[in-house]
Amino acid sequence: MRKYILKRLGSGALVVLFSVLFNFVIIRLAPGDPTRLLAGKDNPSPETIAALRERFGLDKPLLEQFWIYFKQLLHGDFGYSYVSSLTVWELIRSRIVPTLLIAFTGAFLGLLIGTALGIIAARKKGSKFDMFMCSISYFFDSTPSFWLGLMMILLFASILKWFPTYGMYNVRQNYTGMAHVLDVAYHMVLPVTTLVLIDIPYYFRIARSSILQTMSEDFIMTLRATGMSEQKIFFKYVMRNAIIPTVTVFGITLAYMITGVAMIEIVFAWPGMGRLMLDSITKRDYPTLSAIYLLLSISVAVMTIVVDVVYAWIDPRIRIE
Amino acid sequence: MKKKRKIDPAKILNVIKNNTQLKIGLIFLVILLFIAFFGPLFAPYNPYRLNDDTLMAPCAKYPLGTDNLGHDILSQILYGCSTSLKIGFIAAMISAIIGVTLGGIAGFYGGWIDQVLNEIMNVFLMLPDFFLILLIIATFGSSMMNVMIVIGLTSWVGNARLMRAQAKAIRERTFIQSSFAMGESKFSILVRHVLPNGIFPIIANTTMNISGAILTEAGLSFLGLGDPNVISWGQIITAGKSYLPKCWWICTFPGLMTIFTVLTFFLLGEGLNRVLSPKMDANK
Repeated sequence: MRKYILKRLGSGALVVLFSVLFNFVIIRLAPGDPTRLLAGKDNPSPETIAALRERFGLDKPLLEQFWIYFKQLLHGDFGYSYVSSLTVWELIRSRIVPTLLIAFTGAFLGLLIGTALGIIAARKKGSKFDMFMCSISYFFDSTPSFWLGLMMILLFASILKWFPTYGMYNVRQNYTGMAHVLDVAYHMVLPVTTLVLIDIPYYFRIARSSILQTMSEDFIMTLRATGMSEQKIFFKYVMRNAIIPTVTVFGITLAYMITGVAMIEIVFAWPGMGRLMLDSITKRDYPTLSAIYLLLSISVAVMTIVVDVVYAWIDPRIRIE
Repeated sequence: MKKKRKIDPAKILNVIKNNTQLKIGLIFLVILLFIAFFGPLFAPYNPYRLNDDTLMAPCAKYPLGTDNLGHDILSQILYGCSTSLKIGFIAAMISAIIGVTLGGIAGFYGGWIDQVLNEIMNVFLMLPDFFLILLIIATFGSSMMNVMIVIGLTSWVGNARLMRAQAKAIRERTFIQSSFAMGESKFSILVRHVLPNGIFPIIANTTMNISGAILTEAGLSFLGLGDPNVISWGQIITAGKSYLPKCWWICTFPGLMTIFTVLTFFLLGEGLNRVLSPKMDANK
C-alpha cells in the first residue's frame, strides 16, 4: 500500500513539474519578446525591460531562469496581472469562492440525481423509462454547456421571467443576512441547473452500467439460487459493489469541474474563475492565465491521487497490479 | 499463410440492423456528409455577404433569419458544417496516430520503454486538457490548423491506453509467438500483426474523439478563440449571444446543428463499440 501511494505521489509530482515547465516554456516560445509579453505592452520603456529582465533573470541561461521561476512559484508568487494592479494571486482568490459554490452544488446534485436515475434505469433495464433516459443522456452529452446555458436564459429568464438572467446577487438591493443567502440561491438556480443537466448523463451511465455489471456477476447468481429476495440482493449486495466506481469518478470530475463551470459562469456572468479566465484571454493577460492553469493542474493531480489511494484502500485488487 | 477474412455484405447489414445506435448514427452521418459536401450549393446566399437586412427574424426570404451584420444564418450553418467535420476528423486522426504508435510500442516492447511511456501517459491523463488547449491557442493564435493539432496532441491518451492493453494481450497469442520463432523482426511483427489486430477499440474510440474535438472547438469559439477566417457554428453562437433574448434564432440553430453532429459520432462510436467488443454487451 505504501509503495502504491509513493508511486502515485511520484506521478502527481511529475504532473505538477510538467505543468510548471510547460508554463515556463510557453511564455518563452510565444511569438514576440518575453519581456513584451510580461510587460503587457507593445512598447515597454527601456527601464521596464531592464526591471523585468532583472526580476525574471531573462539575461541568465535558461536553466537558471527556470530555477528562478520555480522559486517564485514556491513562494506563491504568480507575478502581477497585466491589466489590473493586483497580484495574480489576489485576483484569483477573490473569484474562487463563487466558482466553488456553483461547482460543488452542481456536482452534488448531478451525482445524486444521475446516480438515482441510473439505479432506477438499471433495475428496469429495457423498460420505457430506461430507453427514454438513455436517449436523453445521449442528447445532453452532445450539448455544448454554454449553449444550454444560453437556452436556459432564453426560456426561463427571458420568456417565463422566473429567474434572473445574470449575476450572483441583486445589485440594486443591498440584502444582508438570510435575505442575501436567498438572493444568491435564487441567482444560482439557472447556472446550477445547466451544470446538473450536463453532468447527469455522466453519472447516469456509470451507475447504470456498473449495476448491470454487478448484476451479471456469478455471486449474484448464487445469491438468487439461495432463494434470497431480489429486493434484499439488490440493496445488500449489488448497490454496495456498484457504487464504488461512482464515488471514484466523482472525485476526479470535481477537479475537472472548474473548466466545465467556467463556460457556464461566462454565460450567466457569474463573478467566478470563468469570468476571470475569459477576461484574461481577451486582454491577453498571460500571468493570470498561466496561474489559473497551474492551480488547476495541481488540484487535478491532488484529486486524482486522493481518489486513487481511496480506491486502492477500498478495493485491494487495484494496488496489487 | 495469411487467411483473408471474408467480408459478407449481408452479414454487415444484419449487424447494422440489430444495432440501433449504429443504424441511427449511420443515417445521421450520411445527412451530415451530404450537408458538408453539397450544403454550399443549396445555400441561398453567400455566407460572407453583408446586407442591409440585419437581425431579421426567420421569414420566407431568410429561412433561419440573419445576424447583426446581415449574414444569412442558414447559409452560414451550411458552410460551417465542413469546418466542424474537418476539425473533428483531423484532430481525432492525429490523436489516433499518436495513440496507436505510443500505445503499441509500450505494450509490445514492454520493459523500460513501457514504464517510461506509461508514466508519460499518466502525466497526460492528469493534465486539465481543455485549459491546456485554451492556453496554447490563446498564446499561439487561433488558426484552424493550430486548433486541430492542439486538440489532437492532447487527446491521444485514451487511444494509447487502449492500444497498450491490446498490444500486451496480442503479444502473448500463439500466432505472434510463431512469427517470433520464424525470425520475423520485432518491428515487422508490431506493424504487420499487432497493430492491425488490435486496432478495433481504437476505431470506436476515435469516433467518440471526433465528438469531443467538435465540442472543444465550439467551446474555444465561444471564448473568442475560434479561427476568424472560417465559419464555425461555435462562432455564430458567440456572435449571437449579445443579441439574446430578442434575436433567439442566431444562437439556437447553430447550437442544434452542433448537438446533431456531436450526437452522430457519439452514436456511431457506441454502436461500433458494441459490435467490435461484444463483451460490453452486458452494459447495453
